[in-house]
Amino acid sequence: MSENKGSEPKQNQVRIGVYICHCGLNIAGSVDCGEVAKYAATLPNVVLAQDNRYTCSDQGQAGIKNDIKEHKLNRVVVASCSPRLHEPTFRKTCEEAGLNKYLFEMANIREHCSWVYFYDREAGTEKAKDLVKMAVAKAALLEPAEEAEVPITRKALVIGGGVAGIQAALDLADTGYKVYLVEKEPSIGGMMARIDKTFPTMDCSICILAPKMSDAGHHPNIELLTNSEVVEVNGYIGNFRVKVLKKPRYVIKDCTACGECVEVCPVVAPNEFDVGLATRHAIYTPFAQAVPSTYIIDMNLCLNKESVVVCDKCTKACERQAIKFEMKPEIEEFEVGTIIVATGADVFDPSGLPNYGYGRYPNVITSLEFERLINAGGPSGGHLIRPSDKQIPKRVAFVQCVGSRSDRNGRLYCSNVCCMNTIKDSLLIKEHWPETEIYVFYVDIRAYGKGFEDLYKRAKKAGVVFIRGLPAEIVEDKKTHNVWLIGENTLQKKIYKISAHMVILSIGLEARKDSEVIQRLLTLSRNQDGFFLEAHPKLRPVDAATGGVFFAGCAESPKDIKDSVTQASAAAARAGILMAKGKVTVEAITPVIIPENCKACGLCVKVCPYNAITLDKDLKRIEIIEAACGGCGTCAAECSFGALTQKHFTDEQIFAQIDAVTELGAEKKIVAFCCNWCSYAGADFAGVSRMQYPPNVRIIRTMCSGRVAPKFVERAFARGAAAVLVTGCHLGDCHYINANHQTQKRVERLWKKMDQNGLNKDRLQLLWASAAEGERFASKIREMKPLVENIKSKEIDKAKKVFEKALGGI
Amino acid sequence: MPERIRHAPLDTEKLKTVQAEIHLLKDQCKGCGYCIEFCPKKVLEESDEINARGVHPPRIVDENKCIVCGFCTTVCPDFAIFVIERSKEERKHA
Repeated sequence: MSENKGSEPKQNQVRIGVYICHCGLNIAGSVDCGEVAKYAATLPNVVLAQDNRYTCSDQGQAGIKNDIKEHKLNRVVVASCSPRLHEPTFRKTCEEAGLNKYLFEMANIREHCSWVYFYDREAGTEKAKDLVKMAVAKAALLEPAEEAEVPITRKALVIGGGVAGIQAALDLADTGYKVYLVEKEPSIGGMMARIDKTFPTMDCSICILAPKMSDAGHHPNIELLTNSEVVEVNGYIGNFRVKVLKKPRYVIKDCTACGECVEVCPVVAPNEFDVGLATRHAIYTPFAQAVPSTYIIDMNLCLNKESVVVCDKCTKACERQAIKFEMKPEIEEFEVGTIIVATGADVFDPSGLPNYGYGRYPNVITSLEFERLINAGGPSGGHLIRPSDKQIPKRVAFVQCVGSRSDRNGRLYCSNVCCMNTIKDSLLIKEHWPETEIYVFYVDIRAYGKGFEDLYKRAKKAGVVFIRGLPAEIVEDKKTHNVWLIGENTLQKKIYKISAHMVILSIGLEARKDSEVIQRLLTLSRNQDGFFLEAHPKLRPVDAATGGVFFAGCAESPKDIKDSVTQASAAAARAGILMAKGKVTVEAITPVIIPENCKACGLCVKVCPYNAITLDKDLKRIEIIEAACGGCGTCAAECSFGALTQKHFTDEQIFAQIDAVTELGAEKKIVAFCCNWCSYAGADFAGVSRMQYPPNVRIIRTMCSGRVAPKFVERAFARGAAAVLVTGCHLGDCHYINANHQTQKRVERLWKKMDQNGLNKDRLQLLWASAAEGERFASKIREMKPLVENIKSKEIDKAKKVFEKALGGI
Repeated sequence: MPERIRHAPLDTEKLKTVQAEIHLLKDQCKGCGYCIEFCPKKVLEESDEINARGVHPPRIVDENKCIVCGFCTTVCPDFAIFVIERSKEERKHA
């Protein structure tokens, strides 16, 4: 520990305390923390610098609190992990010691330093010093701030009426909140309603789901909106305005579900609920237990078109006069405080795998089709028959991992449910037709859950044959429609050729093809597999990065019914916390107007993604609606008159960080700007995954890449930086709706300027990287290494000259 | 539901299929063509023959496609077309 600069503080004197965390050996393993602390003590305004093993521990926090009082610290810098992890922790520590939480700053020397320079302690230590220096420079300019409070509407929207959505809606409704449950299909129930039995207990799926569906349908606090889609969401946490399109059913609630209409309807089509294995009429109910039980007319099928009633057989058959062809689509508008996304998953379509012959061979079916076949409510009344001749198959083969765990044929990830589903299905067959021979072709059997291994053993005991090695090809015997499965048994290193009467492809789950709609409406992020991305994979697994939005079920990742229900209750509890509190504080990162500089040009109004700025033309001034502001800072970057700046990310603070980076050895460094949600998180992910990349990069965090004003880039070049890297979310994935489009425009303008002045454009790079794309970030830095190393001092000087204006005041 | 349907329905035998018997009173037809235009299943088309009123009456393309909605009877201004529903057995017998 070292201390300097007098004991009696003067009025308004900045007194910074710096804490270098060892994080056990996570940081200390490749950074000399003692040396960094010694270095920190020499920095301006630092009155106290120390290193300790775990700064986030109770002791570590108590030490900070004590020092704030004893040494009259008025700024605190902790150099440890990512601010995305522990900034809230240390902010709270500061607050408890009476220091405004906005006077705290963090240096990320773990994810961005020690973990990515495993084998280069010297470079790691040097970079850590720089990162601390940047943090101290920013800390000196920090201002205390008060957070605005926003009230929360005590109503919730649940999107998706599968088992997860139903559970979440019921939990919230039972707590006492009004819930709108929106389902795009005619009935709630989702995938679970289509499955025959559930693993590992072999419960009848619809029997355990139907009571829940009925509860949701009759709950006084739940408004059920089926055959409806969310079309617009405006607003922010606690105050969402939602528009739902209610498509007409053409049958009103008076319907008693007697089914007389179906008897007379002359039009027939395959029933989607049974994956086309059964038929339905133009007027129909998707399945017997549907909630609501009200029938529906499929207008694509019905003979009646746009107010021309060609056929009125159903109308005549309906005693209750419940059929109304004149029904029109309606938009329902309401306000909610929280939103739960439970949109579920699609199943993989194996038609694209020619070697399995699905779609060409009648006796190759998917596991979902099998569920309908074996279901008593299905097309065959629960008799296992094969499609070609409707006979009971004597030899059945299951093929696992169809569309999962493959970089060539489908998706990379494991779909989580297919192994157990197959084991369950094989036991179901054995239960009813014990003589059936069953073969399961697998890669690995993953029976990880409670009771799963028992079920697996039961299946083996019942005589199900498990063969490791997927068939390379399935060939059909044209006469009998039997199939041959040909492949390698990888345990015996032998080629097998097995004949079967029917093959069931155990298909994986994939993200909904229309996830993009919900993603855009709620400004969410998705991972590379297409599933919605949670705010933190371990500690906030059901929260979306967007405040007030939560996930339940397969929308977030493939999972079984139990996990979906668990997650739904968790999401309901998380939403309930917000609504019980009734208010939420908004981070004080909103823009500040400097009225004397404002020319009322209106540029900021145009770029604001939230329409949170209004221009009063008569008074020639702008106004900010703080509650609507998302806090991206794009407006501040757009203003060229210096009339707008963002709290906690002011121009001065960012300049101070740039200056700290470029003070020494600028010609060998990359100044990188990363947005909090995607690219900074991506860089964190690179650290967590220990991806090694060159130590020449210094990351400055902004909330959005839209905050990166051209003058920041110019300043970095004017101070001799070798290269500048601007990074953000992928276009279309921006956490702030579309603010990163401004980033692109600005970088393009800068490239043009560099080009015109004969500068090497490659020195300014733009990278879109999501939170999951750590490798993308790391490889970009690796790619830029030769550029930085080969840059000539002449070029640096030229850039200094071109951009020297940027060195002036703000 | 977004899944692609790749198999034929298995319960088609259970379906009650109606068999239509379409009756055209050709000489009563004035050739307005309403029945042809409004038939939802496109069962009718204009014929080449000329009737007593000097116009082309309709002709049946495929009686099996008719679902006996009766809209042709409704729209015909001259009461020149009507459809009778028969079960398959009756039809065979006839």
